[in-house]
Amino acid sequence: MLYLQLAANGVVYGLVIGLAALAITLVFGIARFPNAAAGDTMTLGAYVALGTQQGSGSLLLGGLAAVAAAAGVSLLAWALVFRRLAKRSVVALLVASIGAAFVLRAVMGVAWGHQQQVFQVPLAFPILLGELRINPMDLWLGGVALAALAVTFGVLHLTPIGRAMRAVADDPDLARISGIRPDRVMAAMWLLAGGLSAVAGIMLAIKTVVSPELGWEMLLPAFTAAILGGIGSPIGAVVAGLVLGVAQEVSTPFVGFTYKIALSFVVMLGVLLLRPRGLFGRLEAVR
Amino acid sequence: MEAYLLAIGIICAIYVLLALGLTVQYGLTGLINFGHVGFFAIGAYTSALLSLQGVPLVFCFAAAAALAGLAAWPLGLVALRLRDDYFAIVTLGFSETVRLTIASEAWLTNGVQGIPGIPRIMAGGGIGPQLVVFALLLAACIAAALAYRRIAGSPFGRLIEAIRDNEEAVTALGKDPARFKLQVLALGAALAGIAGAFYAHYITYLVPDQFIPLVTFQVWMAIIMGGVGRVSGAVTGAVLLMLFLEGSRFIRDLAPGLISEVDMASLRIGVVGLALILFTLFRPQGLMGDYTRR
Amino acid sequence: MSLDISRVKKAFGGFLALDDVSLKLADGAMAGVIGPNGAGKSTLFAVISGFAQADSGSVTLDGRTLDGLAPAARARAGMVRSFQVPREFRHLTVRENLMAAAPDQTGEGLFGLFFRGRRVAAEEAMIREEAEAVIDRLNLRAVAELPAGRLSGGQKKLLELGRVLMVRPRTILLDEPFAGVNPILIKEIERHIRALNESGIGFLIIEHDLAALSRLVPHLTVLDQGRVIAAGTPRAVLAESAVRDAYLGGGGP
Repeated sequence: MLYLQLAANGVVYGLVIGLAALAITLVFGIARFPNAAAGDTMTLGAYVALGTQQGSGSLLLGGLAAVAAAAGVSLLAWALVFRRLAKRSVVALLVASIGAAFVLRAVMGVAWGHQQQVFQVPLAFPILLGELRINPMDLWLGGVALAALAVTFGVLHLTPIGRAMRAVADDPDLARISGIRPDRVMAAMWLLAGGLSAVAGIMLAIKTVVSPELGWEMLLPAFTAAILGGIGSPIGAVVAGLVLGVAQEVSTPFVGFTYKIALSFVVMLGVLLLRPRGLFGRLEAVR
Repeated sequence: MEAYLLAIGIICAIYVLLALGLTVQYGLTGLINFGHVGFFAIGAYTSALLSLQGVPLVFCFAAAAALAGLAAWPLGLVALRLRDDYFAIVTLGFSETVRLTIASEAWLTNGVQGIPGIPRIMAGGGIGPQLVVFALLLAACIAAALAYRRIAGSPFGRLIEAIRDNEEAVTALGKDPARFKLQVLALGAALAGIAGAFYAHYITYLVPDQFIPLVTFQVWMAIIMGGVGRVSGAVTGAVLLMLFLEGSRFIRDLAPGLISEVDMASLRIGVVGLALILFTLFRPQGLMGDYTRR
Repeated sequence: MSLDISRVKKAFGGFLALDDVSLKLADGAMAGVIGPNGAGKSTLFAVISGFAQADSGSVTLDGRTLDGLAPAARARAGMVRSFQVPREFRHLTVRENLMAAAPDQTGEGLFGLFFRGRRVAAEEAMIREEAEAVIDRLNLRAVAELPAGRLSGGQKKLLELGRVLMVRPRTILLDEPFAGVNPILIKEIERHIRALNESGIGFLIIEHDLAALSRLVPHLTVLDQGRVIAAGTPRAVLAESAVRDAYLGGGGP
């Protein structure tokens, strides 16, 4: 029963990783580079939500403000930096994204300080489902995550811009020839990725605490999930995120609390060595 | 005043060693190592822990270099076949895992509380001991620079150049490029390990938070500023980095009420980030990923 | 050193590049592989030398299977290949190219470099002598100091051969040694190959220049669309109508 409980706890955590991994895999698949700023974008979402909630009293407003802020910052980063590096090597983009992450961290540090803060959320008794104890907040967060996923997959599969994004991910040259405008696709993608990161960040912050390192520490699991799911596969990222989140929680009795993150590293190495394309990806040039 | 300058010199020399380690790796094989601080940490903790057990310092330093170099081996075996951005990510994961392990294994490392009271290289007050440390560091830096030069003009260096020109042809001639890249990775790691040992015995107090990725990227920023792949670049870059770090502290000391210590830390990160972005945008030659060198 | 290729199959996706190909090269023998463009000759070499994995069939060297051996290991076992498009180390000089190819150098390890200085120096001197001998043998004296990237196409081919020689192989796989080379140089390369063969080195040669190859080797295997359609002496093979059809229908020599 313990394991079932741990697994249940891991679902929300897994959704957080899944959303973060989704943001990463969108950028990796469409802009074709690993975005190290995804973590700090999550942190940004958490801080904006916190600040807005403290000011307005409404968590909903906080969430909306966070999504808008993160989406806007991501768009800005693209327009100012990543767009100019589009023709350069993957590593150049990766380095620039690390630079962007650091700049974001610095701005947030000056704006909100380094102390840990917590979200004021209504206290509620756990719901008993058989022998499982489920926190109502977790249900809430799960619902928000599912909503975010619904929006994302809706955009990707039901809208013209979403189809264009998938086309660019599949074959950028072909997409260009078919008349798809790269700038529009990129802008839409960065907005979407930013928003997803914000939701993931808020969820994580509510589950734990708001701290400057919140997002950066999620980078390793998020990247692992993106790779495990198969780079460029949105569904893969989400599934892998859930798998990883549940696995991390369930492994806690064995490996201890702090090694949850190390588990991600081992999984990442394993995937890259044994099955680089992950669960759902196409054969990517990993070597 | 001399004490202050010596202190600056010592920290600067430690950064030079770190930069040389990265330079060796990147200059010879083009490997993008984002986990350099991990080797720094391994060296520091190894030397500190052994010295606290009474092991003579010479052996502590040797162990620091050896363990750091050895740590590079499995990392290399796994990661060398990966595309360079994946390699970078894996090395970053490596250094974070090292930091996490240090923070968790409190029985060994005292976890987040850290290790205080690490013996200095030379006890006693006054300028003398500091000078000795500085001289030793200088010797280490010179030795590293000479080693790099020696490699460049040697059969090893020749083969490394051949690998850069045409890896498949090297394979067809019966030599495995991975083996050579591994040795280079290990050498750079060992240099970082020695730097870590010097650091531990100078600062005398270690905590896991001293070994965050920011350190790796500060060193990268240094060698990008100074000129990647060259010994002179490593030295220049380390000096510039030192000026930056000390300069920012100086500015804060001038106006202590204006900028808090935390804010300064944030500003420093911001400047490093900005530098990385600007250099990537406007100084691509010889920059990471656009690896050409001749 | 005998080379035995037996019933090798290799497919790329849906496309069958090699279909049940068998070929034998006796110790110290010379043989050629010909066929129109796309017949699978280069794929065959890739499989033999380890750069590609056969789907089925076997490649054995002196009775030992090469299955699972990496290309570098196969080269160390005594069978070295050249490339169709020369893969010179363009920033190294011709001499350095040759010296880099010499096997088992103590100086190519960091430990040996720093702790066995004298042995490294002695080996370097020996290797240098060998390189000089190869330079003279292949008439590359004039360009010995030049970076290899600046050589002419024909000289690069000679360098390719020279590098292979430095490894002291028992069997050499030559991939189109005459392609893009002027006729005088072709004759020169033929001479070198014959001389090396006389000293005991076996050769398996892919070529399009049927005339030159026929002069050189006593046995030809003809590939077409991944299959062996003829094998035997050059005279016999070239007289077969199937072979003529393959060439007329296909890319042509």
